[in-house]
Amino acid sequence: MIKIGILSVAHPHAQSYAQAVVDNPDATFTGIYDADAKRGQETAARFGTEYFASPDDLLAGGLDGVIVASENVHHRRHVEAAAGAGVRAILCEKPLATTVADAQAMINACAAANVRLATAFPCRYSPAFRRLLEQVRGGAIGEVLAIRGTNRGKCPFHWFVDKALSGGGAVIDHAVHVADLNRLLLGREATSVYAEIGSGFHGQEWDDTGFLSINYGDEVFATLDTSWSRPKTYPTWGDVTLQVVGTGGVLDADLFAQNITHYDDAAGTVTNSHWGSGTDAALVADFLRLAGGETAPNIATGEDGLHALAVALAAYHSAKAGQPVAVPMD
Amino acid sequence: MSYRVALIGAGTMGGVHAGHWKTMPGAELVAVVDPRTDAAAAHGAPFSDFDTMLAQAKPDIVDVCTPTPFHREYVEKAAAAGKAIFVEKPFARSLSDCDAMLAAVTRAGVPAMSGHVLRYFPEYAGAKRLVDAGAVGTPVAARTARMAGLPDLGGRPNWYADPAQSGGVVLDMILHDFDWLRWTLGEVTRVYGKGLFHLTKHTGVLDYALVTLRFASGAVAHVTGSWAHPGGFRTTLEIAGNAGLIEHDSARTAPLTASLRTKGGGGGVAVPESPMAQGQDPYYQEIAAFVHALQAGETPPVTLADARAATRIALAALESIETGKVVTLS
Ligand SMILES: NC(=O)c1ccc[n+]([C@@H]2O[C@H](COP(=O)([O-])OP(=O)(O)OC[C@H]3O[C@@H](n4cnc5c(N)ncnc54)[C@H](O)[C@@H]3O)[C@@H](O)[C@H]2O)c1
Repeated sequence: MIKIGILSVAHPHAQSYAQAVVDNPDATFTGIYDADAKRGQETAARFGTEYFASPDDLLAGGLDGVIVASENVHHRRHVEAAAGAGVRAILCEKPLATTVADAQAMINACAAANVRLATAFPCRYSPAFRRLLEQVRGGAIGEVLAIRGTNRGKCPFHWFVDKALSGGGAVIDHAVHVADLNRLLLGREATSVYAEIGSGFHGQEWDDTGFLSINYGDEVFATLDTSWSRPKTYPTWGDVTLQVVGTGGVLDADLFAQNITHYDDAAGTVTNSHWGSGTDAALVADFLRLAGGETAPNIATGEDGLHALAVALAAYHSAKAGQPVAVPMD
Repeated sequence: MSYRVALIGAGTMGGVHAGHWKTMPGAELVAVVDPRTDAAAAHGAPFSDFDTMLAQAKPDIVDVCTPTPFHREYVEKAAAAGKAIFVEKPFARSLSDCDAMLAAVTRAGVPAMSGHVLRYFPEYAGAKRLVDAGAVGTPVAARTARMAGLPDLGGRPNWYADPAQSGGVVLDMILHDFDWLRWTLGEVTRVYGKGLFHLTKHTGVLDYALVTLRFASGAVAHVTGSWAHPGGFRTTLEIAGNAGLIEHDSARTAPLTASLRTKGGGGGVAVPESPMAQGQDPYYQEIAAFVHALQAGETPPVTLADARAATRIALAALESIETGKVVTLS
């Protein structure tokens, strides 16, 4: 059995990761640490596992794999602690960190301890995306020239809008997903980024609007809308869409289009009920392979997480500078 | 009285205008100028020379529907002759041509209107009305798209395929969006664009551009222009504000779609249609608005200053695409 622990359930995705661990017959769910005892105990009870008041006590249990779902700024501390405890693999929620230096330190710590570090990019596991990738790689639209992406949502509030914990707003929260998908589709690294960033939806000091242009060398380009621009009444949480334009045609992907529309008189709402395949279970299944000592070629590595983070951070740079900036690597 | 109308250019747009002039109360089509005199004769009394036409047909209105680089010579001649002028979009291929025409029209003191027909498309006019009425609160983030294949002139030499004449998808197509966005959100201060315009290997085959605009109000907009979509024409628009969101997609609003079985039993392509009541065609409406303004002695509703402003945004986007830099508009 593969022994798994979760370091912090601050990020709501921890719930679906926990469920995937519980559902997996190869895994044992050793326990949960959370800085908030009430939240940690409730989550532990929900998944029939133990609550630990300190990360070290949980890590002392001889875990094979650790999932880190703390607030963004705490990722480094928790990943380093897990790496020091000699686990085999760590799955870290995105964004990998809030600075390139932190992300690099996490990668280095894991490499030094011979720990496999993975970044949680569940969109990689969307069947619609897998099919898109297969078609692009198979040459269905010839040479890829451009990608128009969106990853919009509703504002998640809580610690996501506390920059001291999140490192930013909508841009750092959302840009990394599509930045990662673009890398897979293009097989190229982002070279520069231009961004118009704003805070007009909520009028706070954190960004809720992000329109990025991402360049992949001189000829291939992409744009990405990361805004928390969906109103409260929007029928779903948001979207991930990709329009991939090539010399031989266009592929349009809408990763979360598989919905039933629900008009609810009692609630006075219209909502989408998603019936498409979930992505988190497939992500966790791959992670469990790593934790069990196998390989998982599709999972995003720490380096993948760093590349995507660099795009988000470059966007903030660009908005401040008012011009395109090189994507900072190293 | 009835205005005597001379149409210049009997191609695609000239044909559309000719049809509307013929049913327009208070106007009659008295001459059509085109070096292709057969094409001209299909719509009215043909002339191959403007000055001859002027002397013989004695028009009150000159309607310029020539390819973009040939707007200036006819606008200047019509102004010098004291005629009322309707000129198709884009106003010109260069700002210096815009300024020359503006000067000629101002000097002559003749009424003039630009063909920014999107303002007469009910979905775009309606969206602006909603925004003006506060439907989304303060507009924050807008997205529009105009996607089609490279225009086909049915075997005639294709001036659209020559960026030096048409300005590609940015000047010819998404200029419409720039005008509508400026009309709805106010002046643009910053333009960053990515596109295939400067990549000559795609010239005459396809074009695709993604342009980001910042407005004086603080709002941002993203505009997609495509001559890379092989199948049909599609437009989308959305404006998100701090109190709501409006969205429109031509692919979801066609009220009639024909899916006809072919003789051989195979399926044909589904052909959508979006018919409007008699007299509500946008191209009819814009010309009718021009005629009404002339009759009332009022300034026509879409001015040449508007036409210049939209052209300036498009040319800034092309400059950004070519230089890779942000272009600031004061
Ligand atoms: N508002 C819209 O939605 C819309 C749509 C299409 C085109 N347009 C604009 O309308 C204009 C014409 O476009 P089109 O698609 O009709 O092009 P077109 O090539 O179909 O027609 C142009 C016509 O002008 C004639 N012509 C060429 N040079 C001339 C000259 N020097 N003097 C007189 N006639 C001349 C050509 O023979 C041709 O018949 C362009 O500026 C275009 O951007 C606007």
